[in-house]
Amino acid sequence: MGDLFSNLGLGFGVVFNLVPWTPAFLGGASIPIPVNILLCLIGALVGTLVGVLPGIGTIATVAMLLPITFGLPPVGALIMLAGIYYGAQYGGSTTSILVNIPGEAGSVVTALDGFQMAKQGRAGPALAIAAIGSFFAGCVATVLIAVLGAPLTKLALAFGPAEYFSLMVLGLIFAVVLAKGSVLKAIAMIVLGLLLSMVGSDIETGASRMAFNIPELADGLGFATVAMGLFGFAEIIRNLDVGGESDRELVQQKVTGLMPTKKDMIDSTPAILRGTVLGSILGILPGGGAVIASFAAYTLEKKISKTPQVFGRGAIQGVAAPESANNAAAQTSFIPLLTLGIPPNAVMALMVGAMTIHGIVPGPQVMQKQPDLVWGMIASMWVGNLMLLVINLPLVGIWVRLLRVPYRLMFPSIVIFCAIGIYSVNNAPVDVILAGAFGLVGYWLVKHDFEPAPLLLGMVLGPLMEENLRRALLISRGDWSVFLTRPLSAVLMAIAAALLVLAVLPTLRKKRDEVFVESEN
Amino acid sequence: MNDTPGHAPVKSIMPKWVRGPQDFVGGIALMAIALFALWASSDLQGMRGFSFGAGTAPRMFATLLLALGAGVTVVGVLTEGAHLSKYHWRGPLFVSLSILSFALTIRPMGMIFAAMTSFVIAACGTPETRWVETLIVGACLTAFCALLFPYALGLPLQLLPTFMIR
Repeated sequence: MGDLFSNLGLGFGVVFNLVPWTPAFLGGASIPIPVNILLCLIGALVGTLVGVLPGIGTIATVAMLLPITFGLPPVGALIMLAGIYYGAQYGGSTTSILVNIPGEAGSVVTALDGFQMAKQGRAGPALAIAAIGSFFAGCVATVLIAVLGAPLTKLALAFGPAEYFSLMVLGLIFAVVLAKGSVLKAIAMIVLGLLLSMVGSDIETGASRMAFNIPELADGLGFATVAMGLFGFAEIIRNLDVGGESDRELVQQKVTGLMPTKKDMIDSTPAILRGTVLGSILGILPGGGAVIASFAAYTLEKKISKTPQVFGRGAIQGVAAPESANNAAAQTSFIPLLTLGIPPNAVMALMVGAMTIHGIVPGPQVMQKQPDLVWGMIASMWVGNLMLLVINLPLVGIWVRLLRVPYRLMFPSIVIFCAIGIYSVNNAPVDVILAGAFGLVGYWLVKHDFEPAPLLLGMVLGPLMEENLRRALLISRGDWSVFLTRPLSAVLMAIAAALLVLAVLPTLRKKRDEVFVESEN
Repeated sequence: MNDTPGHAPVKSIMPKWVRGPQDFVGGIALMAIALFALWASSDLQGMRGFSFGAGTAPRMFATLLLALGAGVTVVGVLTEGAHLSKYHWRGPLFVSLSILSFALTIRPMGMIFAAMTSFVIAACGTPETRWVETLIVGACLTAFCALLFPYALGLPLQLLPTFMIR
């Protein structure tokens, strides 16, 4: 317990760290500036700003804004990225509620009741409840991370290559089970991602693999490049198909009366509590926890509600529960990343990319060698949530105005912004062309009902999986049964196998599809 | 690898025994990618005793993808599925052109020129574009980026064409 407080203390110490600023015009006097808080604030604001743009989900937002953190010191950069992440998430819920265009899968369910509330002129309370629920969930999840972080790190040290490999298999299977649509196609996307991650130099022998003597491919396909192509450019192209303006029905009423009534609060409190618990648990599981958390929370609320018929017609619980669950899961998904070094979803994979750029390899070692970084980031999560609550609610009016910007002006701006962003990662024009190519690939994937998110996850886990597979087999002298004879690894593999079987079983599959279909209608 | 199915509706040339053309074409494309990867990694070293060579993992994943692609194709033949969705040419074409133009001009011409040109090309991607408005917004955005990236964020971006700097 003492550990917990000293760790959190360290974290908040890092976040509230004051840096003296001595501008020339003050003649030597210095002003203390809370740099990290400011970075978190800017991150949350910019994240919301981009996340609010319709059709730009969390992944695209984080990928797009990645370059703006390059010039910062590692701790500041990660704190800012965490801020961007929460901002993007919150922006996604704002578009769901106001325009009925969820930026990402996680806020699809929020749109169900949120948009109905907005139509009834209750957009203010809906947004407020979303923010309050998210904030509460954020508080709980922050404590949970602090509590679970240290013991899980110890567990991670007991992990050998075989266990790591099995854990990643489990994570990928989770991603498959939780993905929408065909299981077979989701697995195919993961394997395609694994295959793409093989491009570049082999870690052990240094041999160039599938790079065709193109110097820019020698280091492999850049993760940010692929993410920006698949989620940024592809999304733009797809939206152009639809014909930007036609399907956007913006709530035209003025957003008035931000504060929820007393009845709203009483109605939504239990929903927020249940959503938080559900989200925290599901978020720790690798493989897209945030999405399934919001679906599960919504379904649960509807199941246990005394008046299930009001769901879909503007029930405030239908906003409170998924938003809390979404945020709790988004936050607890940092746990596998920080303790095991395994990104559980595509956004976390981008975080790994950012960390690598700053020379940090996430995993149990970071927790011990750079505690200020880990705990600083954990503390900044809480601060980030607070920022969203106090800043974004008053700014709702600005976000609404931003939503009125016509798509014909917005999409060229996004294209340029993405292009500059990708170029600035390596100062390489080839990266921009590659991202464009992946944009077309992403467009094609969407047209054929393949999901790009598992591909991205596979691409990030590819090198890690290969390395651990190689090591495990080298240690076992080529004996493949090592994954089943080591107890921890065997348990993980068994869970993975059971999940896969469950996902393919017709009854469960029907249920799973029902949840998704319900969310679409 | 994205061009294989073509941008024209392929529905008409699909044989009758294909019940789910979307999966059928998707699976075939995956198999093509897998075969291409197998060929591309064929020159890499395989297993040496217990240890993986450089080519082991790529070939393993490619083989797996080949099998999965075949699976998706078979599903496309056997089960009733979605038709190929319609491809539009205008959006993809102009967005790609815009990205390409940015990549080619950023080095020799600098960011201001590259951003402005790409903005205008991208704007051609929709028939809704109004030109005066587009030019004004494009100019504002270019100015904003010219201030944001090199100055506010300290990224080493060259703003002006190379010949003007010399």
